[in-house]
Order: sequence, then structure tokens, then C-alpha cells
Amino acid sequence: MSESLLQISGVHKEFGDVKALNGVSFEIRSGEVVGLVGSNGAGKTTLLRLMSGVYRPTRGDITLSNGTPVHKMRDSLGVVPESTGLYSRLTAWENIRYHSRLYGIDDEVSWARTVKFAESLDMEDNLSRYTKGFSRGMRQKTALLRALAHGPKVLLLDEPTAGLDITSARTVRALVNQLKDEGGTVVYSTHQLFEAQQVCDRIIVIHNGVLKANGSPSELMSQTGCNSLEEAYVNLTQEKARMRFEDAKEDNGISKWWNKLFRPKTPIIQVLSGGDEDE
Amino acid sequence: MSKSFTRVKTIAKKEIVEFVRDWRTIVAIIVIPLLMFPVLFIVFPILLESEAAELDSLTVLVEIQGQEIPESLILEFNNTSIIIEQVNMTFNQSLSIPGEDVDRVRNMEVDAVLRIESREDIWYYSIIYLSTSESSTEARSRTIDSLIRWENGLTEARIIEGGLEPETTLDPLRWDGDNRSADVATVGEQAGLILSLFIPLVLSVWTFSSAIQPSIDMTAGERERGTLEALLSLPCTRGELLLGKWLGVASITGVGVLLQIMGLLFAIGYLASSDFIGVPELSATATLLIVISIMLFAIMIVALELALAMRSHSVKEAGSILAPAIILIIFPALFTQVINLDGIESFWFAIPVVNVLLALRELLLDRVIFEHVLIWSMTSLFYATMAAYYATKQFNREDIVTTLS
Repeated sequence: MSESLLQISGVHKEFGDVKALNGVSFEIRSGEVVGLVGSNGAGKTTLLRLMSGVYRPTRGDITLSNGTPVHKMRDSLGVVPESTGLYSRLTAWENIRYHSRLYGIDDEVSWARTVKFAESLDMEDNLSRYTKGFSRGMRQKTALLRALAHGPKVLLLDEPTAGLDITSARTVRALVNQLKDEGGTVVYSTHQLFEAQQVCDRIIVIHNGVLKANGSPSELMSQTGCNSLEEAYVNLTQEKARMRFEDAKEDNGISKWWNKLFRPKTPIIQVLSGGDEDE
Repeated sequence: MSKSFTRVKTIAKKEIVEFVRDWRTIVAIIVIPLLMFPVLFIVFPILLESEAAELDSLTVLVEIQGQEIPESLILEFNNTSIIIEQVNMTFNQSLSIPGEDVDRVRNMEVDAVLRIESREDIWYYSIIYLSTSESSTEARSRTIDSLIRWENGLTEARIIEGGLEPETTLDPLRWDGDNRSADVATVGEQAGLILSLFIPLVLSVWTFSSAIQPSIDMTAGERERGTLEALLSLPCTRGELLLGKWLGVASITGVGVLLQIMGLLFAIGYLASSDFIGVPELSATATLLIVISIMLFAIMIVALELALAMRSHSVKEAGSILAPAIILIIFPALFTQVINLDGIESFWFAIPVVNVLLALRELLLDRVIFEHVLIWSMTSLFYATMAAYYATKQFNREDIVTTLS
């Protein structure tokens, strides 16, 4: 069995009264592509933010193989957040170079790695262009190049194909497969099961902040006694999905009072239809 | 070079590059500050002069109403560019009640109406005019000038009639010599006094206002655009991030303030050549202390703005907090204009914002008072540290990656 790269042990994450994650434990091993699957608000993004060191666990630990907390070894990670996070007044290469410099990587090294992966993503001609006019697919590819330019040990991808056209999504998945072939380690968050099945060696199902299952697609199916991954997923996540914690957070102070004052009390459809739905 | 310093420099450099690539920023931080004072002090007076010249060349029509209008008064009007029309009439009510002349003046049939009447030895008059019309106001002004000249002649004639000497009777107390030479303040000090009335105001307001846009863009803007999450997953600490962004905002603000001062000095130089104002005389110590006070003020303001903007969930929210906050600068700035610096109590130099503004006023007068310098420098340092601490706290919040959008 390959070595453990990242260990997530009994991780809880709370935002005020909202429990985003509840005692999640698993490990990421070298050279595998792990899928984080769950509905919206399940806790995938929170978990990825914890793994990238943006958040700190309320309880529990996220450590690298040498026992170092992940937030102290962030140069081992490459992160592509859902929003991609590109600066529109910088070119694609300037975006990549900015992050590489903050990782402490020489421009020549990051350029060489960028060019290598840019060919796979068909992005060579776009590196000197401002990202302002980029399509969602191009932005995603640039963010991928940026996350790979410093040679991370683990790549964390938050819904990398969300909103992408079919061709772009295929290209992104092909790159992940290429990385897997080269021995790279990837954590791939998605809510599309077919994608997880296509790309991932192992799938972790998270629902309402709790880890529901952890295994290969076939293991999940046999574990639940289902014939398809979709059925297995439905079986594992029967509990009603909650809101995203950002949406669940209550206003406080003046905002609470203000919103209460101006919150519409009647559904707008009722207002438009004259207020009587029974008629 | 340490890794931390390199990261701070990288962040600051990127912020500046990204910011100046927007042409609107160039206009806001270079063109406007550079041109503001020259336009205000040079172009604006020229425009006013040309407007005044245009008004001078205007011929106005004044109707003089009354009985037995003195010939000497008519002569005074004949020496001006006023066309007069005389109407012989008597009045049975107050001369100031416009009566039927309301419509004539409002419809510009005449620019003004002078009513004059002699009762015993006193002449009574009124001028009916339209204050919202430039030509009517000008007609009134010229009429008054003519009346004053005529009155002076009348006064002199009556003094002579009484057997007195008009000059000694009307002007028994006179200044001897050039009154400007009696002021022991040097031209430089006088210039410093004038500048101390508006340089602190301009510096403080401009520092605050020019830092608003970059502060919001680099914090709430990043948060809204979703670029902050990627940045926070990098190996740089949040302290480095704050420092890098602070350097970015401070550099942009510094350029804006510097250019504005250059524009101001250019305007002063222009005015100095026309004897309107001198060049202030400042010692090296005062100059150095001015720079230090501005720097401490900028540290505090920029850190505070970054913190407030970082607290906000969106650009809109940050704007709605920071834009009205300029009142916190304008009010103290206006207030410090009226504080008398002679014998000022030391506690004034401990009040936030007021301390730096007073320090600037005092230093521009080349007054370096050790006790005051000690108080404003220590308190400014304290406030700047507190603002930086507050900003650090905001940057360390976990929810800065979440947005409302």
C-alpha cells in the first residue's frame, strides 16, 4: 500500500451554532485520486478549506505524513477553489507567477511546469492574455495551471468541472488522469457521481457534515447492496440535506432588526396573483 | 532577503500593478490630484477675472425716479457705463416697496430702478433690482458706487459750508507708512500661516479618500471576486498578506498625496511670483516632523480602512461604511482650523486625527515645541498600532473567504 500523505482525524468544524463537519476521519494516500462527493451544503468545501489550511478545525487534526499540521506546510498543496480566484487585470501567466512567487518558486521553474501542463490543457496561446475575457473553462484551466506550477504533493480541486462545457470538462478530467498516471495525488470534490466514478480511485461520501462512506465505487455499491453508484449514494444520503452554513447563519445586531423589518412577509407569487392561491 | 519580506514585496507589487492597470485609477490617483490645486488657484481665478471683465464691459439700464433729481448726481452717472432714464415722479409710500416696478425689473425692461427723494436736508433712496440676475446686480452695484461718489461730494460741500476742512474733518486718524512693514512675521511665516489653514485639511481628507478605493478593491473586492480563498491557501501568513496590501494601498495613496502637494506647490509658486503668497520657511526639523506625522497618520488611516473593508462581505457594504466615515476626518479637520495655537493646551495633541492636524498646523508655522511633538508622535504611534492590530484581527477572521454574492 502507498504511503499516507494527509491524515484527517476526528475533524469537527463549527461556525457559531452551525456544525459544518462532525468528526470526519480519513486519510489520503500517495498517488490516488480521492473524490469528495456530497450534495450542496454537505461540507465538501469546508473540508477542502480545512485541508488547504484556510480554516482551522474546531476539534481534531489535519496533518501531513510527518505529523505537521497542514496549515504549516501549505507549500505541499495546490488548491483550485470553486471560484478559481483569478485576477482579471493580470494575464494568465502573471496570475500563475504571482502564486508561484508566493510559494517561493523561481519564475523559470514555474514557467517550465506551466508550459508542460498548458499543452495538455490547450492553453499555451492564452498564457499572455488578460484573464478578464476568459470563459469559465479557460479560467478553470488557468487556475489548474496555477495550482500545479509549484509542484504540489497534493492537489485539492473544488468542483473543477462545475459550469464547464463538455469539452472543457473532459480536458480537466483528462489532466487529472494524466496526473494520476504520473503518480500525483488529487482530492477531487464533486457532486456528479459519473465524474467521480470516471476519475477517482476512492470516493468519500459526505452528507450534512458527516462522513457516510469511504471506499472505491465497487466497495460503496457492495456496502449498500446497490447495483449502481447513484443508488448507493441515494441509499447513503437519505437524511434531508441542510442549507449551506453561510445561508444558515443568522444575522445579528442591527442587521437582524433591519432584515426583520424589510423581509417580505408574503410570498411574491401570492402578491402577484392577487393573494389567493386557492381560487 | 528573507522569505517573508519577499512575499510582502510580491503581494504589494501585484496589488500596485493590478490597480494601475485600470485607467480610471490613473485618472483618480495621478491626474486629479496633480491638477486640482493648479485648477483651483490658477485657472479658476483666471476664469473669474474673465467673467468680471465681461461684466465690466456690460452696459446697464437704470431708471432714476424722483422729483428734482440733482444735476450733480446725473453727472456721476454720466461718467459710468450706465444708461439712465429719468422719470419725474413723487412717492406716497416707502421707496423700497417695488410696486408696479416688480414686473418691469423681473422682465428685464430695466436692469434696476433708483428712487430718490429729498426730505428736509436728507436724501432718501432705494434701488429696486433682481438679485438672481447678474446684469441687475451689476446695475445695483454701479448705482451704489455712483451714489457713494455723489454723497462724498455732498458731504465735502456741506463741511466747507460749515467752515471746516473736509480732509481733516473726515480723516482725522491715519496709518503712517506701509502697514505691511509693521508686521514682524516674515513673508515665509505669513505664507506658512496661510498654508497651515488648508494643507492639513487637504492632506487628511485626500489621504483618507484616496485610500478608500484601493482598500476596498484589495479586501472586500478580493472577497467578492473569490480571489481571496486561493490567496489564503498559499504559504504566506495573514500578517504578510495584510502588510503587502497595506504597502500597496499606502503606495497608491502616497503617490496621490505627493502629486497633490506637488500641484499645490506649483500653484503656490505661481501665486508667489505674483506677490500673492510667499514660500513658507521651514527648518529641516519641522520638515522631517511633517513627513513623520503624515506617515503615522497614513499608517493609521490605511490600516483602519483595510480592516473596515475586510470586515465587509461585499464591495457595496465596504463602500457604504467607508464613504461616510470621511466625516470622521472632515469634522476634526474643520474644527482644528479654529483652534488657537497660541498657548494651546497639550491634551489637544493626544486626540486622534486632531493631533496630526494640529501638529501639521504648528509645524507649517515652523514651531517645533518638544512637548507637543512628544505627545502627538507617541499618541499617533499608539493609534497606528491599534489600527494595525485591529486590521490584523480582521485579516485573521475565518469568515473572510465567504461572500454574500
